[in-house]
Amino acid sequence: MRRRNELTLLPKLPLLITESADEFDALRDAFKQEIKPRGIIEQMYVHDISSIVWEILRLRRCKVVIINSAFRIALQSLLRPLLLRQPGQSGYQVEGETEALAQAWFTDQEAKKRVSELLSRVKLDESAIEAEAIRRSSSDLELLDRMLTSLESRRNKALGCVAEYRASLAHQLRESADRIIDGKGVLRLEDAASKRSTAA
Amino acid sequence: MASEQQIVANRRNARKSTGPHSGAGKERASRNAYRHGLRSSITSTAAYAKQLDKLVRKIAGDTDDPILLERARAIAQAELDLARVRQAKVALIERASAFGALDPPRVPSSVTRIIRLLNTLNRGRLIVPKPADSSATMPSHEPDRSAEAIRRVLPELRKLDRYERRAAARRDRAVVALGLNNF
Repeated sequence: MRRRNELTLLPKLPLLITESADEFDALRDAFKQEIKPRGIIEQMYVHDISSIVWEILRLRRCKVVIINSAFRIALQSLLRPLLLRQPGQSGYQVEGETEALAQAWFTDQEAKKRVSELLSRVKLDESAIEAEAIRRSSSDLELLDRMLTSLESRRNKALGCVAEYRASLAHQLRESADRIIDGKGVLRLEDAASKRSTAA
Repeated sequence: MASEQQIVANRRNARKSTGPHSGAGKERASRNAYRHGLRSSITSTAAYAKQLDKLVRKIAGDTDDPILLERARAIAQAELDLARVRQAKVALIERASAFGALDPPRVPSSVTRIIRLLNTLNRGRLIVPKPADSSATMPSHEPDRSAEAIRRVLPELRKLDRYERRAAARRDRAVVALGLNNF
């Protein structure tokens, strides 16, 4: 399906090849429904807000994947000292078992049980794996968070700008209406009306 | 803070430098001032100029007021700058997704690696190290691949984000000025 853009003058948001143009259009339409933009400036802001929100969603998805993909390494770094504590285990053996166990943890229930059992020996549970995964990705997550904060503040600012622009437009229209009412144009109309009534 | 003597010594020493000599060094130095290329004029291509004029006309309407036209131009220019930087962001992510990194792979040149290379020569067989292939460490499936690509270009995306914020602020100021102009 071709991407819809009522105002073809506004540049389309470039998407990653894995992203859906229809989904973006649906998001923008939802904002249009809510904001009901009038005029090119408001359309511009709606486009901007939709683009920012789209990028926020993209980065949030990325954040989850970054943590998930650090799970295996996190698991390995937790399991290594635990396995080394077991009697009769050499460093070489532990390395092999750590890798195998960390790999199997994602799919094998038995491996999951063994990992839980190893962690419980030092009074830990699976949340320790997530904590380690977050710790290992903290520098990337910090950068992502900064970008997300910046995008969220820009989205809020853009929403504020729409309101401000509308308020200034409303003020301008009120002033114009006042000028017409106070001006000669209205008096002339009133004169014409009174002349018509005296003639009748 | 450097003392007078240090400043003089620094300047004297700097005069001794004749800049990079190797081809690679000269090429790298030629890009010293280059950051992202987004500051180059947006009206540099005919297509952009045409798009800009259309947008200006749409914002300003039929007016001939030069101030109004100038303010509309500022809004349109900032809007196209925003589009440009968004395009650059996506292009960077796509590039990292395809190649695993933004820079081309290089032959490792650390001292340890050079020693290893000399050792292999000593043993009578030469094994030239291959350039590290960044794409080999990329996840093969989506959405992991795109997420990893974003992770690898995060510092660049952050720089572009700052540029984008400035473009948006320019546009917002121009919109306020346009509103004031209409009173």
